Amino acid sequence: MAEKTIQIEIKRQSSPDAAATWEKFELPWKPGMNVISAMMEIASNPVNAAGNETTPVAYDSNCLEEICGSCAMVINGKARMACSALIDKLEQPIRVQPLTKFPVVRDLAVDRSVLFENLKAVKAWVPVDGTYALGAGPRIFPQQQEVAYPLSNCISCTICMEVCPQFNDATGFVGAATIAQVKLFNAHPSGKVLKEERLRALAGDGGVQECGFAQNCVQACPKQLPLTEAISDVTRDVILQQVKDFLTV
Amino acid sequence: MATATQPAGSDRKLAGGVEPLRAGKGSSFLWRKLHSLSGVVPIGAFLLEHILSNFEALKGPAAYGAQVKFLNSLPLVRVLEIGLIFIPLAFHALYGVYIAMRGKGNVIYYPWAGNWMYMTQRWTGYVAFAYIIQHVIRQRFMGVSLPEHPGAAFAKVQMELSNPLMLAVYAVAMLAVCWHFSYGIWLFAAKWGITPGERARKRFGYVCLALGIGLAAMGLASLYAFVGPDYKNAPADVAPATSSLAVPSIETYAYVV
Repeated sequence: MAEKTIQIEIKRQSSPDAAATWEKFELPWKPGMNVISAMMEIASNPVNAAGNETTPVAYDSNCLEEICGSCAMVINGKARMACSALIDKLEQPIRVQPLTKFPVVRDLAVDRSVLFENLKAVKAWVPVDGTYALGAGPRIFPQQQEVAYPLSNCISCTICMEVCPQFNDATGFVGAATIAQVKLFNAHPSGKVLKEERLRALAGDGGVQECGFAQNCVQACPKQLPLTEAISDVTRDVILQQVKDFLTV
Repeated sequence: MATATQPAGSDRKLAGGVEPLRAGKGSSFLWRKLHSLSGVVPIGAFLLEHILSNFEALKGPAAYGAQVKFLNSLPLVRVLEIGLIFIPLAFHALYGVYIAMRGKGNVIYYPWAGNWMYMTQRWTGYVAFAYIIQHVIRQRFMGVSLPEHPGAAFAKVQMELSNPLMLAVYAVAMLAVCWHFSYGIWLFAAKWGITPGERARKRFGYVCLALGIGLAAMGLASLYAFVGPDYKNAPADVAPATSSLAVPSIETYAYVV
């Protein structure tokens, strides 16, 4: 009896400037396979469907339990985490390609450092570094924790940015993830010391105003962050800050 | 939040891809918010006035003429027209096209309700833009000048709508404009942080839906008044129905006598 196999097609690119090509693979089926384990299978025997020897596929991944945010890629046309994309639940041939809005490094590995730059631009941190111990932080009430916790679940996978029609070269939109982190750190009793700076940063070109409210971010987010609610709340704060600055500064 | 692919603080230029946030720089925030606000006030307010005024057509040519006369008797009416209609409308339309052209629609890949609405807001905007250009040229600046001859308003519109093609254009544009306005109100509330919560947005969505359907129904009913059997072949100019406010001028009398 012929062994059960799976069909997978991967968009490959040997370097940032090389042309992309699709390569087909036929792999032996194993129970509980996901897209990452399929690529591990290729790495262990790098032969494509035509029987030619090829190179193992390059991709980012780490935790394999949808918590590190590394393995976002476009699978069967949708941006999602490869580790939680179970082979048995996908239509074959499975077509895997890198995220389309980030520069490709090689194969499925992309450079997502724009998110890191954006988080730095809005100072998405609690500024407590110093030369002496500041003691215990302020108390955070459970009601505040319940607002903050879902926002703290962001894994920086950039899927919200990939699926956003406004996140592109023309707008240079900052994306939902960064705006949600502004809400998180502005809500923090110590982090809110930078609240005004964050809100002013988000009124810059590419800021909150570029959101078109297509709501793809909140649909696609693998961690179910309340992204549209965060954008709405933060935009109100940005508007109020702009009005306040206009009248007082 | 672990995304560092190089040591923090390094100022490496990104090789291609989307540019990072230009924190606090530029003026697009102001223009974008003015665009959003102008759609509600004054343009949205004007749309409500326009649809309500057109609804007078159901009472016949005299009542319709009286409404046109009333609007043209408002103080500083030409200043109002330019400052609260022409300039905001031109800005909203042109900046709107600029916004729409910078978006990168992906509804083929992500066919979700919000994404469809995002696209529809752009398509209805284009339809409204094209329609309004011809509407203003043909009804405001061509043919009988209505500010001087308010009584001719009904006949002028009736003449335009006697062409089945124009009637279809008006009906489609009426639906597109009402859609654009009612979803625009919803977007305004969502994007200005008035309805941040999911349930609040859903509730307000029903309000906007009712508003949109109501306005579209009123608009289409007004169109019917011009083409229906009640006021066939309206006279070229009528004395606008009189009220204590509007006394018919000698000029309009001349047409009747």
